[in-house]
Amino acid sequence: MSREACKRMKKQIKKALFGALTIVALIGLTGCGKGSEDTAPAREFYYVPTYQDIDLEVDYIQKSVAAGDNVYMFGSKWNHETGQGKDFMYCYQPVTGELQDFPIEMQTEKGVNMSIQQMAVNSKGNIVMMVNKYQIPDMTYTEDILTEEAVEETVAEETVAETSEAVVIADESVTETAVSEITEEAEATTESVEVVTESAADYAQPMEYREWVELWEVTTTDATVLSVTDIQDALETEGGFWAQYMALDGQDNVYFCDGNNKVFVLDSKGDKLFSKQVDTWINGLFAGNDGKVYVKTDGEGGMVVRPVDVQAGNFGEAVENEGLSGNSYNQRYYMGSDGTLLVNDESRVFSFDFVTGVKNDLFAWLDADVNSESVQEMGQLSDGRYWALLCEYSENNDYSFVVLKKTPAAEVTVKEEIEFATMWLDQRVRKNVIDFNKTNEKYRITVKEYGSTDYEAGKTQLNNDITGGNGPDIIDVSQIDYNVYAAKGVFEDLYPYMEKSGINKADYLENVFKAYETGGKLYVIVPQFYVSTAAAKASLVGDVTGWNLTEMLDVAEKSNVEAVMPYATRDTVFYYCVYNNLDDFINWETGECAFNSDEFIQVLEFAKGFPEEWDYNQQEEGTHAKIMNNKILLLQTSVSSVQEYQMMKGMFGGDVAFVGFPNQERKGNLIQPSNGSVAISAKSKHKDGAWEFVSGLISEEYQSGIAGENGMGWGFPIKQSALEKVFEKAMTPEYYKDENGKQVEQPKTSWGYDDFNIDIYAAKQEEVDAVKAIIASAEKAYSPSNEELTKIVNEEAAPFFKDQKSAKETADIIQNRVQIYVNENR
Amino acid sequence: MRSLKKDVAEKIKNADKPVKASAKKRTESKMTASKRRGTGISWLYLSPSLAGVLLFFVLPFFVVVFYSLVDNPINMEFVFFENFVRVFKNAAFQQAAGNTLKFSLVAVPLAVILSLLLAMMLEYKIPLKSQFRTFFLSPMMVPIASVVLIWQVLFHYNGLSNEILGLFGVAKIDFLKSSYAQVVIIILFLWKNLGYNMILFMAALSSIPKDLLEVAVLESAKPFQIFWYIKLRYLSSTILFVTIMSLINSFKVFREIYLLTGNYPYDTIYMMQHFMNNAFGQLDYQRLSAAAIMMSAVMVVLIGILFLAENHFGKDVEG
Repeated sequence: MSREACKRMKKQIKKALFGALTIVALIGLTGCGKGSEDTAPAREFYYVPTYQDIDLEVDYIQKSVAAGDNVYMFGSKWNHETGQGKDFMYCYQPVTGELQDFPIEMQTEKGVNMSIQQMAVNSKGNIVMMVNKYQIPDMTYTEDILTEEAVEETVAEETVAETSEAVVIADESVTETAVSEITEEAEATTESVEVVTESAADYAQPMEYREWVELWEVTTTDATVLSVTDIQDALETEGGFWAQYMALDGQDNVYFCDGNNKVFVLDSKGDKLFSKQVDTWINGLFAGNDGKVYVKTDGEGGMVVRPVDVQAGNFGEAVENEGLSGNSYNQRYYMGSDGTLLVNDESRVFSFDFVTGVKNDLFAWLDADVNSESVQEMGQLSDGRYWALLCEYSENNDYSFVVLKKTPAAEVTVKEEIEFATMWLDQRVRKNVIDFNKTNEKYRITVKEYGSTDYEAGKTQLNNDITGGNGPDIIDVSQIDYNVYAAKGVFEDLYPYMEKSGINKADYLENVFKAYETGGKLYVIVPQFYVSTAAAKASLVGDVTGWNLTEMLDVAEKSNVEAVMPYATRDTVFYYCVYNNLDDFINWETGECAFNSDEFIQVLEFAKGFPEEWDYNQQEEGTHAKIMNNKILLLQTSVSSVQEYQMMKGMFGGDVAFVGFPNQERKGNLIQPSNGSVAISAKSKHKDGAWEFVSGLISEEYQSGIAGENGMGWGFPIKQSALEKVFEKAMTPEYYKDENGKQVEQPKTSWGYDDFNIDIYAAKQEEVDAVKAIIASAEKAYSPSNEELTKIVNEEAAPFFKDQKSAKETADIIQNRVQIYVNENR
Repeated sequence: MRSLKKDVAEKIKNADKPVKASAKKRTESKMTASKRRGTGISWLYLSPSLAGVLLFFVLPFFVVVFYSLVDNPINMEFVFFENFVRVFKNAAFQQAAGNTLKFSLVAVPLAVILSLLLAMMLEYKIPLKSQFRTFFLSPMMVPIASVVLIWQVLFHYNGLSNEILGLFGVAKIDFLKSSYAQVVIIILFLWKNLGYNMILFMAALSSIPKDLLEVAVLESAKPFQIFWYIKLRYLSSTILFVTIMSLINSFKVFREIYLLTGNYPYDTIYMMQHFMNNAFGQLDYQRLSAAAIMMSAVMVVLIGILFLAENHFGKDVEG
């Protein structure tokens, strides 16, 4: 190559290099980092769930613990007919899905009841249980805690005991001896009858109520009770003791703390090593993989995790890790298969290695289609998979297991993703999303919580996403003012979708749809609602179903009550009289405001009679007592079920009128979503998928489900047929058999409000009719109070409340400022 | 008088007249390769700035124009000038535009005239000259949050002004929530801007050729004549600059009003920026864009008028 050619080449290289650098500089300058979302690395792994149903005969599981790959669960079931409870213990193997009874004998003495407070696994692989026992005098011997075979034999033994004059001394030492004999012989099941016989004799003696705590060591292989140690003396208390947390260290020392923030450490034999009272709140006690036990307490800068130093009888140096300490208030701790700590912080799970100090993020429950609210216990199998014991809380708790397997993304069938936006994820909405993801084969919903840390910042981000074309497919509008978005064309009209899907509007509560219509279009679906209202004494307000502001203020003035509303502040008055009644003050069509009207001035003067903040420390009569004594006029409340109506009726002594919020049309009952309300984005690329989710919420199955759980749930379904089921259920009486075998109606449940408690029986037809009337009267949707308006009113009313300005001056300024707001928004 | 005016005008014309360079014959020959390379490199060096200007100024401008012509950023249906009509008819917009115009018409001339007077006053040998200068410049150094705090202390319903007025038996006035509100904001605006304008005028005054002033004095010109026929002409470009800056700052007074009274103040101090800021908060980008374009159109007209005026008054100086 000639020198010239070489020079030219060098120049060209220089040029190319310079050009490339310029391009890089330009890209940097123009902020072409678009899309951290677009360029974000794809997920390498998914935690694929496998659900396992289990058939447990329990109402609830009190405690569970994992030993190796087995999960041991202690639970109870209440027999409504006999009025007695029965305890069960199970062993479940998530690997095989096999459920077995764990045949531990849980009755050692006749007349003594026991429950397992805490369980942990020691270094030998045995379960250490903290068992609480109590003996009630004059207690009829309960068969429920025995096995059925034992029951038959016990009856025979009782007969013997009754006829025999010979009484075995009811000495605690004798009992202990008897128990230790059993332990030594390890004849748990067969010996039970023998023990019962001895204790039955004890029972014949007059005795006092006694409660004590024992530590049991039980083998996991055959449920043999290896040792029983009475640790009552070590607890420094007489009688009852509640162990909040329990953990074992590498030497099998037992650590636990009571509800009063006191930590106890016993050796493996049950002898007390030391105890320490903590000044602050104990938030956790757990074993680390370094053989130590750690205690988590509330410190100045948030939570602090420190090891318990047995030698020094104190706590050691704090563990420095943001995941464990600081703001980590809602965490639960479990043990991984290799001994590392598994931390469930309600939404995510991470592991922490105390030896290396490394935190390792594992998964988010929602990504794994698991409802974090349902997770009762979790752990890790020896093959690395994670398991969780789930409980769907309802009238009949439904238990199941889920096993999560870390799977490479390449092996997972990826579904079309639908983004669901919410300010913060409601419990019920979370369940709906998970249920959809579990069942839908084509689409998968991912949730984006915008306002979980900062509502205003979240709202701005949502606005930016929507206007920038990166908006979500489905939006939960229950926490935002949907009208603003609907007016901007952000949402899809859902009526055509309903029509296309063959959903008949007439099958639903028309007033609910109407309340959420904007210009004849339905942008929002409210699957479940309640009625926001105000209850008043009918004898004071008359037989009315609504009132306007003037009438309300007149009644308040004339009724001569001590306080118009209980615990009401000035804000309460504005919310009741103005914010939920804005149409009376703003005419959006003409743009006229009436904040300088006599009515508003009256409201200002009315509000002045209320405190700025309520002092809840002052000793006062309860709400019910005040109602009965005609000391209060109104109670802002809701009607979310027939039972709630029954309670309100009871509270007012039957003398109740649901007048709602004041307005000109005298229709002040408002519809409010109880578990989220959803809209589909007009710019969604997955409208069909989004509609599949939304339509699921008004499906027969979902709506009937609401009816099914309504006894415990909150809100009415919007489907007529499901609502009828709700009423039918509310009217169905429940019975028990009395001692003569006669069916007697029993309360379905009980409700309480302040100083009032009531047993709720099956509803009568007139009660159901009243609820129907309240629902039918609600024609407007509740909308979140207007922040700007609230701000202006609060700001301007303050000088009036301090007697610095007259009501007229105040009203004029409010009118002036609100008028601009109204003009702007027309 | 006429001769003085003529002489001075002649001298002014000649004083700063640039020496004409001898005309060079331009060769019509083709650009050489090195010239082309030079041009290319110039563009290369210019390109980052150009890209920045395009991205951050030109492109957003067209985006704003686009938004002003569609129904909303979601549907993006073309509605021509409907947004402009809607905004123009909106009572809040009319209020904001009227207030802003009224404020600018009062505050900007005051800011120019008062600062010019102050600058001229400080030209003379007066006692505490340096302290005066510092006094008028100090508001520039005060952070806006502190300014607002000071103004609240002064003009709040329970503030210092009412305390003083109370001493004379005057009833309390809610300065910021009454018809006095705009007066308060004008005072605030002047307090904040006079110092800066004054410095600019002082610099301009000091650059007036001394010989001209001396000639004028020798010719028995009165101070007003000196001011009107000499100083004002030399100051014309500075006056234009100060006026434009004050005009821009008058639109920026929203910041102070917002911090004092929030999104929705008393109607007399509700400005264009309030209207646009609130429209942004409500996702009403089309209305915001239409309002912004109308406002910028008014600004262009106003600045055009100012340029014409400057050309008229300063033509003798610039030749």
